Amino acid sequence: MSVPALEVRGLVKHYPGVKALDGVDLVVRRNEVLGLAGENGAGKSTLLKALVGLVAPDAGSIHVRGEPVRLRSVVDAADHGIGMVFQEQSLVPNLTAAENIVLGSEGPAVRRGVYRWEVMRRLAQEQLDKIGSRIDPLARTDSLSFADRQMVEIAKVLRIEERTQHPPVVILDEPTSVLEPKEIDTLFAQIRRLREFATVIFVSHRLDEVLDVCDRVTVLRGGRSVGEVATAGAVPRELHRMMIGSTGSDDHYHENAATTVVSEEPRLSVRGLSGATFRDISFDVARGEIVAIVGVHGSGREDVCRALFGAEPTTAGEIRMDGRTIELPSTRAACAAGIGYVPAERKIEGMVGPMSVAENMTLAKQRARLAGPFVAPRKQATLVDSWIRRLSIRTPGRDTPIQRLSGGNQQKVILARWLVAGDVRLLLLDHPTRGLDIGARSEVYRLMRELAATGVATVLLGDSLEEAIGMADRILVMTDGRVATEVACPNGGKPSPLDLVKEMV
Amino acid sequence: MSTAVAMKPVHRLTGFMPLIALVALVAALTVADPDFLTQRSLIAVARTAAPLIVLAAGATLVVLCGGIDLSIAALASLSTVFLALWLPELGGLATPAVILVAAAIGAAQGAAHVLLRIPSFIVTLGGMAILSAVALVISGAGTVRVVDDSTIHWLDLYLAGYVPMSAAMAVLVVALIAVVLTVTPLRSWIAATGYSESAARLAGTPVDLVKIGAFCVSGGCAGLAAVMLVSRQFSGGPTMADNLLLPAVAAIVVGGTAITGGHGSVWRSFAGALVVTLLRVGLPIVGVPSAYEQILYGAIIVVAVALTLDRAKVSTVK
Repeated sequence: MSVPALEVRGLVKHYPGVKALDGVDLVVRRNEVLGLAGENGAGKSTLLKALVGLVAPDAGSIHVRGEPVRLRSVVDAADHGIGMVFQEQSLVPNLTAAENIVLGSEGPAVRRGVYRWEVMRRLAQEQLDKIGSRIDPLARTDSLSFADRQMVEIAKVLRIEERTQHPPVVILDEPTSVLEPKEIDTLFAQIRRLREFATVIFVSHRLDEVLDVCDRVTVLRGGRSVGEVATAGAVPRELHRMMIGSTGSDDHYHENAATTVVSEEPRLSVRGLSGATFRDISFDVARGEIVAIVGVHGSGREDVCRALFGAEPTTAGEIRMDGRTIELPSTRAACAAGIGYVPAERKIEGMVGPMSVAENMTLAKQRARLAGPFVAPRKQATLVDSWIRRLSIRTPGRDTPIQRLSGGNQQKVILARWLVAGDVRLLLLDHPTRGLDIGARSEVYRLMRELAATGVATVLLGDSLEEAIGMADRILVMTDGRVATEVACPNGGKPSPLDLVKEMV
Repeated sequence: MSTAVAMKPVHRLTGFMPLIALVALVAALTVADPDFLTQRSLIAVARTAAPLIVLAAGATLVVLCGGIDLSIAALASLSTVFLALWLPELGGLATPAVILVAAAIGAAQGAAHVLLRIPSFIVTLGGMAILSAVALVISGAGTVRVVDDSTIHWLDLYLAGYVPMSAAMAVLVVALIAVVLTVTPLRSWIAATGYSESAARLAGTPVDLVKIGAFCVSGGCAGLAAVMLVSRQFSGGPTMADNLLLPAVAAIVVGGTAITGGHGSVWRSFAGALVVTLLRVGLPIVGVPSAYEQILYGAIIVVAVALTLDRAKVSTVK
């Protein structure tokens, strides 16, 4: 058998209080698409960062085509033919696609410090041709769709080919998390084409995708490689079992725990709500009911969700909580009315990274940790510790900065933020499971069921249609800023994703 | 072994940086001039430092919220004029009146920043020019002498015979701000606002009020600094405190408060103000003409911010 394109042996990386990598092994063969699967905190991100020189391992070795290498930086990795398309898109929005593609390694596109636009366009076009993309190299990046931008990133990464004589290794970290289903198909076609002349490492939380596009999957758990699966004929449940190390619950969405909604006066009542991207939105949510809003990108559902929390201006309409009208434009008023909001952009809008778990958890409901006007340290400690236990948040302690926690645990802290005072009546969950692994997802779902059982109403913007269908009692379908239709979604009578898609477009 | 593990003690050490700098400076100045460590010169340092400490402490709150207040020195100058003009009529009430008016002016700038959504840097830069001009106009572009300073004289006295009252007041103000921040939710609110305003807002934090409050305290501190200056100099002047802007900003950044907001404390600015004052006092001792002072402040600000910013980057890369 030929020498593998990339081989990792016994890689170890410690962080304070955490062993991120604990002797991980990985073999990537030439011209294959290798999937990496694992829960949050399994070590996927750290491993990928080590492969592109962003993290220096404490022990172990990386071999490129059989030769041991030390990767000190992204440039170093590129010199060895390894490049990564980052999870957060790394393009400069106000430059053209061509400028972005040559950025950092302009070569002949710059002479005496001046751009030679024609050369640059040609260079960029060559890259885009490699992946068969028809994007105009002179289009401004921010005018492109997410999917097109990703193509530009892939084209950019492929420039590492010029630095090495061998097929490059392209790492795709969570490339599908911001894409629509149709765009994902295009991306997958692209990945299959890449395989002709490159080696691909593909990471996604969606196991069906991993099985769909990869030739082989390596499963990580607790910083080690725990197994390898050939994807032909494999099913997601098998992978899931390896990831969590035990048989996964069949009742992923905890449907058995779903409560029956008794109709009474609605908890949330929205009438004729209009704003910049949505018009005339009216719906009710009862106590203990979970209502999902589904819609394609641009349907306006995110803005409706923000408007309900007073974080998006509205031009008309009314929001009532338990019959009482609340002032629209203020997040303060929404909080006071017992509304909690979990934003989609957890790292930017959800948590305050450098602040402690305790401070993040009590940020919205200061009352819960105060005695009179003063912070009561013991009260805060008891409160925070009890929620850390209740939600089994894995953290070295309540004073640890939240940015040191894994995504799932961060999300649990953000959820707990609305629960600590025990006065939450409506939760607005904007992609609450984005970027979370299956185990963490399942825990979030369980928590949602528990809250619903206590009468908390929920508006859910699901990360996927399956999630919306699995969790919701009722689904609103939004198109072009309006509620197109409403679909009942009771246990035992769930609609199929296909039914919903028909309404969405 | 691991860089992340090694970071920790280093990170802890940077917290003491202003204190280490302080000790090193005192040692160096004592070596350069053995007379430095005498009661007389230490008292002089404390008296000089007092208004700077108060100015820096107030402005630190604005910086912690992620903004900056460039108007503090101009506001303090204006306040000295107010105080000198009002003392004959208001007597003992002149001091609280000046502090309240200064706080109100600060709050007004904060409100302009928050409600009109103008960067604080621009609002206070404009405010600085406006306040300076107002001071010139109402003072008749000259020094306003204080004939009867009996009601502010106490600030120029000594506590227990040694500690200048103004320095004691400065410590009190810093301690008061620090304690209020620690025992109330304000510290969380300010830090959240400074680190990530959008996250703070989406958690229902009263971001706008917090920011206006910070500007209000910053203004009030400028007023108090003005009272200290007048009590020493028996007069008010339209440019009296203008040369304190750079030292105050230098004190904040030398203390290690991040100019990007969130990270820092008033105690750090307290130590920073002492460092800056020692440098100022020390320059003539080591034979550098005081004309070079501004170069020092400029360099300090740039270097200190470069260092603090660098550390912030390290923590995000991690």
